[in-house]
Amino acid sequence: MTSQNPTETSGKTQWDNLILPSTPNLHKVETYISHGGYEAFKKALEMKPEEVTDEVKKSNLRGRGGACFPTGLKWTFMPKQTTKAKYLCVNGDESEPGTFKDRQIFEFNPHLLIEGTLIACYAMGIPTAYIYIRGEYAKWIKMMELALADAYGKGFVGEKILGKEFSCNIYIHKGAGAYICGEESALMNSIEGERGYPRVKPPFPAQYGLWGCPTTINNVETISNVPIIIKNGWEWYSKIGAPKHPGPILVGVSGHVNKPGVYEMPTGIPILEIIHRWAGGVPGDKGIKAVIPGGSSTMVLRGDQLEGVKMDADSMKAAGSAVGTAGLIVMDEDTDLIKVLTRLAKFYYHESCGQCTPCREGTGWLWKVLKRFEKHEARMQDIDLLMDIANNIEGNTICALGDAAAWPIQAMIRRFRDEFEKRVVHAQAGTPESVAV
Amino acid sequence: MAKITIDGIAYEVDPKLTVIQAARDHGIKIPHFCWHPKLSVAGNCRMCLVEIEKMPKLAIACATQVAEGMVVKTQSERVQKARNAVMEFLLINHPLDCPICDEAGECKLQDYTYKYSIGYSRFNEDKVHKPKRIQLGPNVMLDVERCIMCSRCVRFADEIAKQPVLTFTQRGDHVVLTTFPGTQLDNPYSMNVIELCPVGALTGTDFRFKARVWEMSSTESTCTGCARGCNINIWVRNNEILRLTPRQNEEVNSAWMCDFGRLQTFKDVNSEKRLSGPLMRKEGILSSVGWDEAIAAAASELRLFKKSEIAGLGSAYASNEDNYAFQKFMKDVLGTKNVDFVRHLKEGDEDAFLLRADKTANTRGAEEVGVKPGEGGSNIDAIIQGIKNGSIKALYALEDDIAAIPEIAGVLSNLELLIVHSSIQNETTAAADIVFSSSTYAEKHGTLTNFQGRVQRIRPAVVTLEQDRALDGFAMSRWDKFASHNDRWGRPIKKDARPSWRIVSAVASAVGGKMKFNSADDVFREISEKVQAFKGLNYQKIGNTGVMSKTASRAVPVV
Amino acid sequence: MLNESNKQKLEELRKRYPTSQALVLPVLWMVQEQEGYISEDAMKYVAAILNVSYGHILGVVTFYTMFHSKPLGSHHIEVCTNVSCMLRGCDKIVEHLENKLGITFGETSKDKKWTLSEAECLGSCGTAPMLAIADEYYESLTPQKVDEILERLRP
Repeated sequence: MTSQNPTETSGKTQWDNLILPSTPNLHKVETYISHGGYEAFKKALEMKPEEVTDEVKKSNLRGRGGACFPTGLKWTFMPKQTTKAKYLCVNGDESEPGTFKDRQIFEFNPHLLIEGTLIACYAMGIPTAYIYIRGEYAKWIKMMELALADAYGKGFVGEKILGKEFSCNIYIHKGAGAYICGEESALMNSIEGERGYPRVKPPFPAQYGLWGCPTTINNVETISNVPIIIKNGWEWYSKIGAPKHPGPILVGVSGHVNKPGVYEMPTGIPILEIIHRWAGGVPGDKGIKAVIPGGSSTMVLRGDQLEGVKMDADSMKAAGSAVGTAGLIVMDEDTDLIKVLTRLAKFYYHESCGQCTPCREGTGWLWKVLKRFEKHEARMQDIDLLMDIANNIEGNTICALGDAAAWPIQAMIRRFRDEFEKRVVHAQAGTPESVAV
Repeated sequence: MAKITIDGIAYEVDPKLTVIQAARDHGIKIPHFCWHPKLSVAGNCRMCLVEIEKMPKLAIACATQVAEGMVVKTQSERVQKARNAVMEFLLINHPLDCPICDEAGECKLQDYTYKYSIGYSRFNEDKVHKPKRIQLGPNVMLDVERCIMCSRCVRFADEIAKQPVLTFTQRGDHVVLTTFPGTQLDNPYSMNVIELCPVGALTGTDFRFKARVWEMSSTESTCTGCARGCNINIWVRNNEILRLTPRQNEEVNSAWMCDFGRLQTFKDVNSEKRLSGPLMRKEGILSSVGWDEAIAAAASELRLFKKSEIAGLGSAYASNEDNYAFQKFMKDVLGTKNVDFVRHLKEGDEDAFLLRADKTANTRGAEEVGVKPGEGGSNIDAIIQGIKNGSIKALYALEDDIAAIPEIAGVLSNLELLIVHSSIQNETTAAADIVFSSSTYAEKHGTLTNFQGRVQRIRPAVVTLEQDRALDGFAMSRWDKFASHNDRWGRPIKKDARPSWRIVSAVASAVGGKMKFNSADDVFREISEKVQAFKGLNYQKIGNTGVMSKTASRAVPVV
Repeated sequence: MLNESNKQKLEELRKRYPTSQALVLPVLWMVQEQEGYISEDAMKYVAAILNVSYGHILGVVTFYTMFHSKPLGSHHIEVCTNVSCMLRGCDKIVEHLENKLGITFGETSKDKKWTLSEAECLGSCGTAPMLAIADEYYESLTPQKVDEILERLRP
């Protein structure tokens, strides 16, 4: 098997997994049903749609795709009275470097996602949902398709579900290699068969989404939280983890740790605890130089500023970063941060769709300047130049890719300026200073 | 109406407008590349970022709808810094080849660089290289390195020309504008992308490398390619037309014109076949003669025929002034009722946009000013018949190559006298006894009436021998203004041609009639007094965008 | 161009979307799976059956990195070099592959057997370093493991 089962490594904690329980064969519909699967959906069908939305709203569930936007609130943006079609898009484009959590859901608990999708559609009166999965996940797409076929077979998806008036079709849409399609409006364009260009907002998707119709886009993990909320009630759910950002969260730990992998835990767990207790600590007991806490776009934190920083929106914000996708990248004391940053810059350069001037031109510029740092060919003023380019991209583009490209640069310079200074050519000596790697 | 504030001044604006539209309506210019009033909003260039109170980020003025109480700042420090940034980004991969770029001088990128950039580059890396000198279609060349990916041309092809052949390929700063291999940008309106392009990425194959824009004068006129009468600018350097560009007129052509009108209608003005001075057949051979001699000869020849033996053909290519003076000469002076003109309809060669089947500019005007048979006179078919059977012996034909029409060509040899006005040598001049070299539409004042009944101005852009660019109030380029006798370009070639209304007036006087017109304005004044359709009109009222004639029903605006 | 089963699949897919343009990605996938790459003729074909312009298809094909407009080697090896893989030694894997195959990123071997590409994060950060060949992920790589993979694919 290509992926370790995260339930094995998280088993030693007291936390009972809700999204990725250790139940064997849970991806099979029978197993899922025998463990209480689709009961939340049945329960929801007995509720009024707005009661379901209300439940999600009160639960304080916040999006797990990176922006931490309150899910219930997002659902209320959908017009109730409309003559147009309505759509749900489930965002499984998962392409943020350091992020590999949704993949676990596709593989180990696909019916939770399908059930969540059904409940969301019921709550918003949506008859059609598309689950957009990145093309590279071909194997996981097949797994999802099998699970979906089973769900259709059991009558949970399709026309007049379980004898009720509610009909809902779910389709899987395969991406084809474009990070930007994880941006919700680019995702919609991609489904429409366009180049994955983000759209100018407003209009927002709830007014003008897929094919101009009201559309909600939720992340795979977000949707997978929904059955848990409906099954157990908002009150129960909202007490899990950090009060303002509650619930289970899938944290992907990668980089310099002994046991990289995806760990399910309540929000609000200290980062150092995640690294040392869950992910087995740093190989060779080395010190931590830096941590990117929530996928490559979130601002890097210094190893010496991690004390007390927790995996929830408020704590991360206070620390000067963000939860993002909870993809935690750990870098030990010997890491060449310039090399790391150059690679990230190359990524954003490669993934910029090319629409907006600042991002299209700026991402390449950043990468080119950073390459000079990597090769010890930079000048002292290039540090401020990098900062300036990043500042000039940030906030000035249609979508957040520009911001995502800028933040790592800004944070790295702000928090590790000395690393850059070490790479500057000494004008007088004309030789690069040696660098610890 | 919504009350908004822009740069500290309160305005009441239509709440449906975007910030850029509302600002523009009040004369506040917000710099932009990708936004165009005739195209969908793309929002990609980011040049129109403005500060709006209560919005955390700068907003693009092109996509932000105004709202009650909105406070917009277009000049704040943040806005200016963002503009600096966008300009810097746009220029890093741009080739900066203004010295050899056709767009220079009318380039948004260049203009904004002066206005909104920091004035130097901090870019120390290698530029991205992309395809150059790509023939996108028969009339448009592409230099991808100059392209700023604003997508105006793509949107034009999709939304206006309805020929969606332009596309972007690749991503990021590797994005390339292209057509699918084997397909071309060859729709009838393809060249509009040249003006739409805010930089020098798209240039005209025809105009490429012909001139720097500041060397040319620009004259507001009307296209003569069909009965639409698209409003245009005529660009002239050293007394030679180098290009035509569309001029916005919502009632007629929106902001566009077709490639045919743009490329084909001015070639005759510059043609090597241009006539310079009158010709007369002497011992069987057409020979150059002076105006006085030709005018006197025409008068004395015409006097030899009975009224009924003379026919006159006005022209749908000629102006209202020319046609009016001509029919007046025919009917009032020579007394013939055999007056008509040839229609040039190409059925099927038209579309639902601008192109008209009538390939002449003034069919409607010719009819309205009276180029039609008098009571009991012959129309065109009867005139041809009359020439054939010998009842019509003398024909006076205005500005139309009638000999190119088989039915007419076949009978011309029956005539005893053929007098024609023409600006170029053609089959008709070859058959004529007297040829008057007439001014083209680009060399005279006048009006044309389009198919809608809209009376529009033509203005001289090219000087003829009898004119002076400065004294006669022509548009002047820098060359025109500052050339000295030492300059090569100070000595343009001037054709010896006169407007038809002036020629017929002279012939009429020589015949003994009373036609004293000193200017096109004079002729038009009489038209406005005598012809119902033109009642109350004058050149001032017609202005730059024309007015509907009194007989016209309401025009249907395009787009 | 599309084989019978794909044609049937296409008709099924049409029911899922309100426009035919939405089928651009699914149909391009079918073509690529069938033909190995998406030729100019294939693009024209797709444009025709979905009633969109040729240029639109070209724009889409070149936007998405997984679509190939030129044939690749029989085995397309994509190695993630993004940060999580970098931190766990992808450089060594890349070096090893380059030495073994005699090609570098972006190249296809002379015998058309191998194409080596640099990939962006493929979502295997917890099992880095990794590479992908066709739809299969190979994770927690060592040079030795790479040898085994190549050996298995060689015949």
